[in-house]
Amino acid sequence: MIVDADGYRFDFTDAINVFKFDETDPTSPTFHGAPMKAVDVIAELSDFYLFIEIKEYPASYDPDAIIGEKTCSEVDCPNRTKHLEWLKNNLKYKFRDSFIYRYAEDKTKKPVHYLCLLNFDDALNSVIRKTLRRELPIDKVPARWVKTLAQSCQVLNLDAWNRNFPKWPAQKVRAA
Amino acid sequence: MIKSLKFLNFTAFDSLDISFSPGVNLLIGENGTGKTHILKAIYAACDITKSKKGFAEKINDVFYPSGKQIGRLVKRAKTSTSGSMELGRETPDGKAFSIKLTLTSHMLTPTKAKVTGATKLWLENPFSSVFIPVKDMMANAPAFRSLYATRNIHFEEVYADIIDRAFLPALKGPTDHQRIKLLGILQAAMDGKVITKNEEFFLKNKQGELEFTLLAEGFRKLGLLWLLIQNGTLLSGSALFWDEPETNLNPRLMQTVVSILMELQRLGVQIFVSTHDYILLKEFDLATREHDQIRYHSLYRGGNTGEILHNSCDTLAGLDPNAIDATFGSIIDRQVSKDMGMLGK
Repeated sequence: MIVDADGYRFDFTDAINVFKFDETDPTSPTFHGAPMKAVDVIAELSDFYLFIEIKEYPASYDPDAIIGEKTCSEVDCPNRTKHLEWLKNNLKYKFRDSFIYRYAEDKTKKPVHYLCLLNFDDALNSVIRKTLRRELPIDKVPARWVKTLAQSCQVLNLDAWNRNFPKWPAQKVRAA
Repeated sequence: MIKSLKFLNFTAFDSLDISFSPGVNLLIGENGTGKTHILKAIYAACDITKSKKGFAEKINDVFYPSGKQIGRLVKRAKTSTSGSMELGRETPDGKAFSIKLTLTSHMLTPTKAKVTGATKLWLENPFSSVFIPVKDMMANAPAFRSLYATRNIHFEEVYADIIDRAFLPALKGPTDHQRIKLLGILQAAMDGKVITKNEEFFLKNKQGELEFTLLAEGFRKLGLLWLLIQNGTLLSGSALFWDEPETNLNPRLMQTVVSILMELQRLGVQIFVSTHDYILLKEFDLATREHDQIRYHSLYRGGNTGEILHNSCDTLAGLDPNAIDATFGSIIDRQVSKDMGMLGK
């Protein structure tokens, strides 16, 4: 099943259903329509859901470049600490809002794997993954919890995605 | 500045032809891909412009092959072979020239080695150079120099050289504005400045004087950099060789070290750094401004024979292969497999 989102094309060869979760077209049956943050794509597999969020950062500073819903100048790109903080929060809140939305849809029966596709190198993605897992949270959850929010969270670039998920090949189809 | 280096059957290399940036050169690669050999070879060629030592002799002292048999620097082969290294250089007034050292595997002493090319021109244009080895020598400085000078101790000469450079007295006249700025950054990071007493180094601050043997090794590194800037070893036109600066350095101090090295590059110091460290590499990437001159050199084994190859690139993102990032890639892959099993595979 093929889906296009944010300049990428994914083929989930073993999926039951795949759709653009942040659909803005009100005529679409998967129109999002809620004042909440939303991941780009959701794929339903036989035993799991995949939440997929895509973020592309410009190689050099361009104040007008769009990152997600904001321009580089709004995100304060040259300040790398703020930049990564914004990114981490964005990824975190998108997951949480999407999970709540899916709860309201009664679509949280299967565990969720959260996959973030970023254009950073493997090392920086490892750093973001660690922070994100801590804050979603995944690794260290309150003792009162009896369920998990996400089964796992992975932060990957396109090479790493295709290395690890040969059944779900992804390619860039245009500049995001 | 050093423009290029060619190796032919030299140490671990079959053949290498590499061009350098006049600014910062970062060498990355797995162990055994010859990063330190490149630094040492260039350093030896730079050092003789000041020390006036013979090129072959300096190479032999810096590499220290077993029994000091210079022929052992030729890449090992079943039969007797020859090897060479050639360095290209350009002076500030635009003169380009090179020197070449040729060895055979059966040579026992440096006097038998052949040095060709513009040797006279090479020596007539002196410039400062400094090699900071992986192992810290600052705390061991007392008496090491005299021991090295009088006894045949098994140390590559870079260890004696670095102590000599650190002990150089300050330049005459007032310290220029740029060096004051750099010294200030280092003083803030290590909370003091370096003084010497009877061949012993101390960090001096409001609390008193702390001998280097009691000082964290990371701060000793900053102290060494402070001395080299303060005594004018690192001035425009000089060259700095630093083998794995990350060793014993707190990752938080790397930004300081990199900012100093980038400023030195802007002042006209040519810099050669070997590293295995992602943070150091990334700090260079983040500290690079529009007119900075930086080149990343990746050394790796490839081809049918597993020989050492290289790839150079002016951006970190374009560097391929990148041994450091590949290590993180491997960790990511194993983590995904651990978390998701065969899902997607």
